[in-house]
Order: sequence, then structure tokens, then C-alpha cells
Amino acid sequence: MAGLNSVLLDPAIGVGANLAAWTSAGGGEGLARALDRPQDIIPTLRAADLRGMGGAGFPTWRKWTAAAEMADGEKYVVCNGNEDEPGTFKDRYLLRRTPHQVIEGALIAAVAIRAGTVIFYINPRQAESIEAMRHAVAEWTDSGLLTEVERVVGRNVRLSVAPSSGRYIGGEESAVVRWLNGSFPFPRRKPPFPFEKGVNDRPTLINNTETLANVPHILKNGADWYRNLGIGGASGTKLFSLSGDVLEPGLYELPMGTGLQELIFTHGGGMLGGRAFKAVFTGGPSNTLLTARDLDVPLDFDSVRSRQSRLGTGAMIVISEGTSIVRKVAEYVEFFANGSCGQCPPCKCGTFQMARLLDRIATGRGTEADRRALGHLCLILPGSGRCALIDGAVTVVQSSLQTFPEEYATPGV
Amino acid sequence: MSDRIRLSIDGRELTVEPPLSLLQAATADGTPLTSNVGCMGQGVCGACRCLVRREGEREVSTVLACETSAENGMQVSFIDYFTPHRPHVYDIAGITDSWRIADAVRDVFPEADHCRHCGGCDRACPKGLEVQRGVALAAAGNLAGAADIFDQCVMCNLCTLACPEHIWPNHLGLMVRRAVTALGLRPSDLIARLAEIERGQQPIDFSGRDDHDAAAGAARKG
Repeated sequence: MAGLNSVLLDPAIGVGANLAAWTSAGGGEGLARALDRPQDIIPTLRAADLRGMGGAGFPTWRKWTAAAEMADGEKYVVCNGNEDEPGTFKDRYLLRRTPHQVIEGALIAAVAIRAGTVIFYINPRQAESIEAMRHAVAEWTDSGLLTEVERVVGRNVRLSVAPSSGRYIGGEESAVVRWLNGSFPFPRRKPPFPFEKGVNDRPTLINNTETLANVPHILKNGADWYRNLGIGGASGTKLFSLSGDVLEPGLYELPMGTGLQELIFTHGGGMLGGRAFKAVFTGGPSNTLLTARDLDVPLDFDSVRSRQSRLGTGAMIVISEGTSIVRKVAEYVEFFANGSCGQCPPCKCGTFQMARLLDRIATGRGTEADRRALGHLCLILPGSGRCALIDGAVTVVQSSLQTFPEEYATPGV
Repeated sequence: MSDRIRLSIDGRELTVEPPLSLLQAATADGTPLTSNVGCMGQGVCGACRCLVRREGEREVSTVLACETSAENGMQVSFIDYFTPHRPHVYDIAGITDSWRIADAVRDVFPEADHCRHCGGCDRACPKGLEVQRGVALAAAGNLAGAADIFDQCVMCNLCTLACPEHIWPNHLGLMVRRAVTALGLRPSDLIARLAEIERGQQPIDFSGRDDHDAAAGAARKG
């Protein structure tokens, strides 16, 4: 079991964009192992049980296998650093603080699927991350280290940094592909999946920044080492973006499977102003609320799912007694309404209508009919969009209605 | 007697006897409508905008409740009217120079150039208008073409709610229609309708309303 900040946020590797400093801090070994035995990369990730850290928790090895099995030719690896969910602030930190860790992970992905192009897709509002990555990418390109990668991949390997649209919706995989192909980042229904038809209609592997950052460490230290970092049946570590009504909000890397109680009260310093704990919106924030009876939940993908919620991006927005759940939900649904891309009228109209009803209820102007209408929208809307935005918005509304009905009590009527 | 059907409207479970429009079904149990109601079924005011999911379907569509038949298993949610973040202020009487009309429209609706071509407005329009094309024509200065597209718009506001770029297509369309009409000929169907009313050929039928409404109607008819 790992301690605090022991892998991705290890102070010893916070070396910025300097490649020499990265290699002298132990960087490069993971890639060297991958180049020695490329056929072992995916089985190692499988044995390590690395999951997608962007929110889905999907087994990384499956995605890589799907992309690797596509016929050889031009293929793409995209590192997704769009990160625009409320309360999530981990990828920008990785990109800025230890960019070579991410680049090395992406290069190992390129070796595994034999891709010639690696694109770092980064939110333009995170200017420092983009600058650090541009600098770091230039160092790799100038270093000659890519030659060995190209020999194993069997084609030229090119690294580039592409600012994303900065829109919330731009982090969704099919929207990533659209944007990189020069269009507005509209999501589309899948299949085809990006691994079949992605950038320039070619097979494309898209991974979250945190996922890729873990890869060099796993290749370097082995699957068993990674598995043992976690608690219980969970593997590795997770970055938790802790915010809200806690004394010490911030980014914490902890063993996957750390208890919610420990995150908030040991690492987060406990509740602000000594107020009682009420709930957590998990990243980001489109999942079922965790409440006081979930304080014992181990924070890993499977355990949180067993409480009918999702670990998501690892964003934990903590709410104390005295903070209105309805007000917070109204803010998030308003965010989703503004972020909805417009293609699907039920998503755009439905989120706006929910936001309006929530605002009325939160400000004491709501009626019983409003509360009922809100519950009814939660029945109608799921599945009505091309992507999962509307489903996420409905989940958080429905969860709050079920868990905190008293906060939705309306005067008279 | 035909089979009764069950449907839910804004969380109210209703059992009604078809044929009824969704608007009629919403009032069938005696619940007074205090919003989303205007012309009471003539399909011209756009107030009864709603989201509808038919039984067993994944699709959710935007419709006018007065023009949609109630079906068994339907789920209906009415949608509020959303007012603009800022009012669109213009003086049609002040637009007298047709050489300047495109600029005048652009000054009031600068967002018309921002269309991202998502097609949401077209899908949202319960009248089936080519809203996105209307916006594009207005933005390109083809106001006559745009006015023609928006001619049947009932200002239900669904395109505006659906538009991610805050273009306010129906409000843009209304200004274009007003400007084009102010500088040219009145629409032929409007001319014909006014003539019919003047000849007494389009009486307003208040039968079926209660005495108070009938009396009020009689008073209005003078």
C-alpha cells in the first residue's frame, strides 16, 4: 500500500520540462523496458489492472488491445488533457509539473499499438500546462531518444501539442476526434469507436492524462508493484481533487481504495468550521451523491459503483451541513446546460428547464408542481442525447431528489 | 366509447378519453393551466411548447401540446418561456433605408454570425421550419429569403432554447419579418385574413366555454 503522493506526485519527479532532470530522477526506464519487449506492454497493463482515470474506469488494456489489433498503417495516440469538469484539477498539474512522465506513457502507448503520431490535447485555459508540454515535447524531439522508438514502431514518430476547444463537451472521445479533424467538437453516437475510426479516419487511441502518466511506472516497476499500491482488491493510486467545505482542499495522490473518511478527515483536515459532513459530489459532478452512510466507502471504481455512484475523475466536492444541496445541483445543471453542444434539443432544452426549476426551488419560489415536474424530467430525459451529458445531469438531479427530499420541500401549494 | 389512455404530464398521471390533444389532456382532470397556454389549440401562439417521449422510444421530441395527439404511455414535460439575457431593442419605423437593413439586423443580432451548424434549432422546431438556413440567410444579408423561412414561426422559443450560441433565431426571424414587411409588401395570407375578419367571415367561436368566458367574449366582440 502506497503512502501520500508516492508515484505520480512524488516530489522527486517534480522536475518540470527538463528531460535530463527527468532521466536522472529515474525517468526513461519504463520506455526502455517497453522497447525491449513491446509484446509484454499490454499484458503488463492487464496484470496491473490499470483503469481509465478520466472517469470511466474502463480497463486500459482492452482499449490498447483494440487499437493494436487494427491493421498497421497510420495510427494515432491522443493524450486527453481537456479537463473541464467542475472540481477536477489533476491533469493540468501532471502536465505542468512532470510533463515527461505523461510523454513517456504516451510513447509506450505508441509502441504498443504501433502509432506514428502522438497528440497532446490540452485545454487552452491551462496555458502553463501547454507551455510546459511544448517545451517538453521539443526536448524529446531534439534528444534523439525518439530514434529507438521509431525503430520499434517501424515508422516516423511525431509528437505535437494541440490546444483543445476548452469546451466541456470537448473531452468526450468522439468530440476529441471531431476537433482534431478540424470541426466543432460535436460528440456523435458510437460505434464506430475512435479505435476504429478516429483522427483522419484512422485508428486512434485516446487516454486520459493520468492514465498515461501511470504507464511508465508500471512498466518500470512491474504489475505486482502497481497492484500492491492499492488497498483491498484495487490497484495503484488515484489523484483526488478535493474541494468544497473542507479545511485543506487540494490535489492528493492516495492508494486506490482509500476510504472517503480518510480522504476528508485525515488528508483534507476535516470539515470547514467544524460543521457536520453532508454529502460529496463526485467528478464530475454528474454522479449519484455520496452521503454520511458512504463515509466508509473505499474510493476505487468498483467499490464506489457498488454504492450506485461513480468514482469519476476523482473529483470530490464536499458539502457540509448549512450548504444547500439544491443550490449546488442548480449550479452544476446550469453548467451542463451551458456546456450542452446543441445537437440534441432534449439535452439543451431539458437541462435549461431543469436548471430553471432548480433555481426556483433553491430560491424559495418553487411549488410542489415544480418539484414534480423536475422529477418527471428525470424520467423522460435519460438516453435522449448522442453523448452522456444529459444522463449525467439527470443522475445528479435524481440522486439529490431521492437523497435530500427535505431540501426540495416547497412551501404550501 | 373509445378506450381510455394513460399518460403523464409534468409528473401528473392522467387517464383520458381520446381523441384529445396534449393540451386538452393536461386540463382534462380540471387542473387549470396557468402557464404554457395562449391561443388554446389554434397552433399560433407557441406557448404550449413541451418535450415528449412516446412509450418505448428513446427519442425525445419537442412539440406544441395543442398540435400533438395524446397517446397511451406518453410522457410530457412542459417547457418555460425563457426571456433574452438582454432585450433586443430596435425601431422598425426608423429603418427606412433598405440599403442599410442588413446592417441594422446585424447590429441587433451580432450572434447570428456565430452559428456552429449543429442543427439543434431545426430539430427543435415543432413547425418543421429550416431555422438554421433562415439564420444563415439573415446573417448573409438575404433578408427576404430569411423572412420567407420564418413566416410560419409561432415564436414558441424552442429554437432559442436549443441554440448553444445564443443566436435567438425566432427573435432574429421576427425582426427580419418586421423589417422586410415595413419596407415592402404585407404577406398575402395576412392581407387575406384581415379582409376576412373585416367581412365577418372569421368569427371567433366561444361556444363550449363557460358563461363568464362567453360573456367576456361577447363583450370583446362588441
